Amino acid sequence: MKINGTYLVHLPQERAYALLQDPEILAKCMPGCDRLDKVAENEYEMKMKMAIASMSGLFDGRVKLADQQPPSSFRLLVEGKGKIGFLKGDGLLKIETGDETTNVIYEGDVQIGGTMAAVGQRLLDTTSKMMIKRFFDKFAEVTRDLKTPGPVPAQLQD
Amino acid sequence: MIAHIFEYSAPTDLKEALGQLASGGKPLAGGMSLIPIMKLRLAAPEHVVDLGRIVALNYIREEAGTLHAGAMTTHYQIESSPLVRSRCPLLAEAASHIGDVQVRNMGTIGGSAAHADPAADYPASLMALEVQFRLASSSGERTVSVEDFFVDTFATALQPGEIITEVIIPVEDPSAGVSYQKMVQPASGYAIVGVAARITKSGGKVTKARVGVTGLGPKAFRAKAAEKLLEGTEGTAADIAKAAAAVSEGVESNTDLHASANYRTQMARVYAGRALSVAVSRAT
Amino acid sequence: MATTTITRTEPLVGKRIRRREDPRLITGTATYVEDIQIPGMHHACILRSPHAAARIRSITTQPALDMPGVVAVFTGADTQGIGPVPCGASLPGLRVPYHRILATDRVYFVGHAVAVVVATDKYIARDAIDLIEVDYEPLPAVADPEKAIAPGAPPVHPEWPDNVAFTFHQEGGDIDKAFAEADVVVKQRITSQRLIPTAMETRGVVAEWRPGEKSLTLRSSTQIPHLMRTLVAQMLSIPENRLRVITPEVGGGFGSKFNVYAEEALMGFIAMKIHKPVKWIESRRENFLCTIHGRGHVDYFELAAKRDGTMLGLKLKLIQDLGAYHQLLTPLIPTFSVLMMPGLYKFANIQADITGVFTNCVPTDAYRGAGRPEATHGIERMVDILAAELKMDPAEIRFKNFVQPDEFPYATPTGLSYDSGNYAAPLEKALAAVDYPHLLAEQAKAREAGKLMGIGISSYGEICAVGPSPAMPAGGWESATVKIEPTGKVTIMTGISPHGQGEETTFAQIAADELGVDIDDVLVIHGDTTVVQYGIGTFGSRGTAVGGSALYFALQDLKAKIKKFGAMLLDSDDILFANGQCICNKTGKSVTIAEVAGASYRAMKLPPDTEPGMVATRFWEPPNFTFPFGAHIVVTEVDKDTGDIAIKRYVAVDDIGKIINPLIVDGQIHGGVAQGLGQALWEQAVYDDNGQLITGELMDYALPRASRMPWIESSHTVTPSPVNPLGVKGVGEAGTIGCSPAVVNSVVNALQPFGIRHIDMPLTSEKIWKLVNAGGQA
Ligand SMILES: Cc1cc2nc3c(=O)[nH]c(=O)nc-3n(C[C@H](O)[C@H](O)[C@H](O)COP(=O)(O)OP(=O)(O)OC[C@H]3O[C@@H](n4cnc5c(N)ncnc54)[C@H](O)[C@@H]3O)c2cc1C
Repeated sequence: MKINGTYLVHLPQERAYALLQDPEILAKCMPGCDRLDKVAENEYEMKMKMAIASMSGLFDGRVKLADQQPPSSFRLLVEGKGKIGFLKGDGLLKIETGDETTNVIYEGDVQIGGTMAAVGQRLLDTTSKMMIKRFFDKFAEVTRDLKTPGPVPAQLQD
Repeated sequence: MIAHIFEYSAPTDLKEALGQLASGGKPLAGGMSLIPIMKLRLAAPEHVVDLGRIVALNYIREEAGTLHAGAMTTHYQIESSPLVRSRCPLLAEAASHIGDVQVRNMGTIGGSAAHADPAADYPASLMALEVQFRLASSSGERTVSVEDFFVDTFATALQPGEIITEVIIPVEDPSAGVSYQKMVQPASGYAIVGVAARITKSGGKVTKARVGVTGLGPKAFRAKAAEKLLEGTEGTAADIAKAAAAVSEGVESNTDLHASANYRTQMARVYAGRALSVAVSRAT
Repeated sequence: MATTTITRTEPLVGKRIRRREDPRLITGTATYVEDIQIPGMHHACILRSPHAAARIRSITTQPALDMPGVVAVFTGADTQGIGPVPCGASLPGLRVPYHRILATDRVYFVGHAVAVVVATDKYIARDAIDLIEVDYEPLPAVADPEKAIAPGAPPVHPEWPDNVAFTFHQEGGDIDKAFAEADVVVKQRITSQRLIPTAMETRGVVAEWRPGEKSLTLRSSTQIPHLMRTLVAQMLSIPENRLRVITPEVGGGFGSKFNVYAEEALMGFIAMKIHKPVKWIESRRENFLCTIHGRGHVDYFELAAKRDGTMLGLKLKLIQDLGAYHQLLTPLIPTFSVLMMPGLYKFANIQADITGVFTNCVPTDAYRGAGRPEATHGIERMVDILAAELKMDPAEIRFKNFVQPDEFPYATPTGLSYDSGNYAAPLEKALAAVDYPHLLAEQAKAREAGKLMGIGISSYGEICAVGPSPAMPAGGWESATVKIEPTGKVTIMTGISPHGQGEETTFAQIAADELGVDIDDVLVIHGDTTVVQYGIGTFGSRGTAVGGSALYFALQDLKAKIKKFGAMLLDSDDILFANGQCICNKTGKSVTIAEVAGASYRAMKLPPDTEPGMVATRFWEPPNFTFPFGAHIVVTEVDKDTGDIAIKRYVAVDDIGKIINPLIVDGQIHGGVAQGLGQALWEQAVYDDNGQLITGELMDYALPRASRMPWIESSHTVTPSPVNPLGVKGVGEAGTIGCSPAVVNSVVNALQPFGIRHIDMPLTSEKIWKLVNAGGQA
């Protein structure tokens, strides 16, 4: 399924570009993820617990950053597999500058398989959007005080 | 299709149930939504607390201008209750559209609201009726308005350990006209879109319009723009058409195999028109 | 011995008799595979691939094995010695992938079986499945047959990169001449979407191995117990006479159980390994993913005609979505479409090219109608398209082209010989039922009022009573044994395997009439290979036409024998057998069938050249198929605002030859029409581009519901078939075949004001809405 959308972030372009690829930040913002373990350059593993109301599933996940064009775009690839199926997301994130704010325009493809695909087609669109929204809402929250470069604050490192 | 192993209890006392829920139990009502997702292993609660034996959660009564329906009241009970049919006909009408007889005999109003399926029937009416939910947990009770209750797709204001104990529904103005119109998804029977309308007229003018919509967006919502456009008008076909066209304002429409976003949007308008026409014609 | 006057009782054949099998079905006292309990029985659960195409790098089963209650875990590596899932079809040049019962190094479709867990109960078995780790390397997949044969498509089977399993060409008459002489040629691409048969009871197998006796018993929900025995014995390399297949109650099949699947051999293998009985019951999800689907056609038709509407020739390019493997008859199904492509019409020239295409999907195979609905849908749509092109009335163009009653047997350009027919009769009857001129006037008025009203006709034919043995991979005959027990009770053992068709009733009616006994004295037994002589099974609307005919001949043999004993007992050479009695025409003395049977077993005295006992067995080879036909007319109204279709009238006039039980025939027509409506309006198995079945549950796969069924005005014309002694043609598939083109013709007709010429099924509201409101776009 194709997905796309635009989010506004209150960060300068270069900062948004950097923070969107910061594993600490990604770990904080990706729904259901609490830690990213680096396995190679720009490649991380994670355990994800995806939960929508009473439904939930555990996934072994993998995140990859690619095609980096600082400060304007990069690709984010997310893969997860678990007992209820697998998911794959491949998105191009374009970071376009405004003045104080920056637009993050994403465009990509979400694929699901297994039980999730068999029973979840009607929810794929809604939940993808919801997950992405959760990501950006969280991103806005954790980056509120990170407009300028500096070390990641301690409360983000727990 | 076999669920994970789980513990099961069926307390008869609400307090006891709340205690079990506080320590991580998962409430089971009619099981029409929870059991399938457990069997698909999309949910794996360790402890299922069946609310079905708690008599104190199954009632319909009228108190000073409001109807109170216990959370465990089944769709069939709502649909067939003379009290609901006379005091709040919209809710009875909505209940009659849910699933089939077996589902209506098992499924409950509390379960349907708590599940917050974006395509469920009840929420459109609950929105239009501006109901309130009484919630309870081991640490106390609170009341939440329907607008605050439905948060997102499958997401509600319920906190862990908290359940709906009753739905509080304002008694309908006897002169009001109401209608629930639903486009049925051919496989599941859920709503592709469902629109609930309530109209009150006075002196030939629409004095109050309430429009609740389900199926269109991530959660049920009130189409306030449409309501505004209709209020103060005479409720002519042209007025209704104008209001109906605004029903999808500000909503990002769902898309799936059975209806693209655009088609869904158009159908929301068509069904809003139908619901409003019937409601206007029924208002006296 | 008594003296009796004959009172002719009315025959039961032709009567609306309630099904004798129904009380146990509707009171929940029937025994299905799932109801079978055997002491010590274990339970199997199968791990299936979530990928449509992937390499299996490794499978780790130890954590599952470590779980208490788990007895064994088997993977493809353990079952390599078992023969492949059989394909019974042979076509020149057919590529047959080796279909192992468990995948080994690669999976080819979502749901492909990868491993099986055996445990002491089904809950443990299911839990243990989640403990098996399979390391897959996902590969590109292709789910659409046209994409699969496009250049650059991922190969389903690497050894055949073009994804073509076979091509098949057939020609009759002189197609080039027909097209050269034509005034008009109409062309259309027409699809028949993939459908999921969705029998009420999913599949299931219980396997029981008796090591001492070296015998294996399989209880399986199947339509073909004997063929299954032969084929599974080969897969497991055990002697066929030591394998017993029993079909308990079967909750519907619609063709999906006219097959041998991996699970039968797999459960047999497990029972023999663990020396314990083992049960496997398919879940609904597995049923959707792993039991065959039906249809899956993309057809390109070209119809040549004269300006006066005379049809000259038909070309068809047929692309069949086969799925990843061949099940029992997968590649054969589209050839039935070719046989049936001229429909009821007289033109002598045809050309057909089939391309059978592998996709990363579950295999397609026989589903109610099997090839004939696709063909009928094609020709009946093409006739309407031609009529629209020529501005002719769709009824008139059909009448003009029908094969005429005096032309039977009629040789078709596809090589068939239509047995008997009066094709105009049902159409005339249906047109009269709807008062066609009046209906057309009503439509004109409705159009003026801006309403979208449609009238759709289909005049369908079909191939039934399948079939003469040369046309079938494993024989097309059928068998029956009739025993009159010493007390006069009648036991019939039929080689067919009814699973909802009602032969326990219809066969009893036939026997009761022939023998003059009470219907309650007749018992029909089927579906146990140790009890019943070899038979072919139930499919292709053959049960009564072929199996009933075998029964008829066995009954004649018995009647002759009864008369011999009667003559002996009455000491007369002038004997009449009627109403269950032998009567001496001279003395009026009589003996009952029970007395005769008793005497035949006691055998104190025997008639000349006559053996004791009262048993007859016949294997009957039909000389031809039978060809039922009919006309369905559907009146629809389309809601402009929503695209919803309302069926205002459904008139079905079916000629299925002689009717044995009108009540059962009604049921078959109603059920058939329901499934036809399902295809026309709602059902579709949808695989996404990656080969995931996204209509994986009844939440998204839209079956017809009782509440959405129109009233069906069903009636008949009766043209007996000369092919069999009963004069019957078969009714199992008629409703389905006649339905979908009538519905689509009706809706296309409703949308004529928009210049619509064709719409592919299913006619979903959104599809219709787009055509009406946005010129097809949205
Ligand atoms: C075949 C079928 C068809 C259906 N068709 C429709 C339809 O057309 N329209 C429609 O709207 N619905 C339909 N439904 C869903 C049906 O209405 C369910 O009854 C409803 O969604 C859930 O109610 P339940 O009482 O069964 O709740 P359960 O399935 O028991 O519970 C659902 C969820 O709510 C939670 N819960 C239950 N009660 C409470 C409570 N009091 N407080 C807090 N949480 C609670 C549970 O923990 C669970 O998470 C259908 C269901 C089926 C099986």
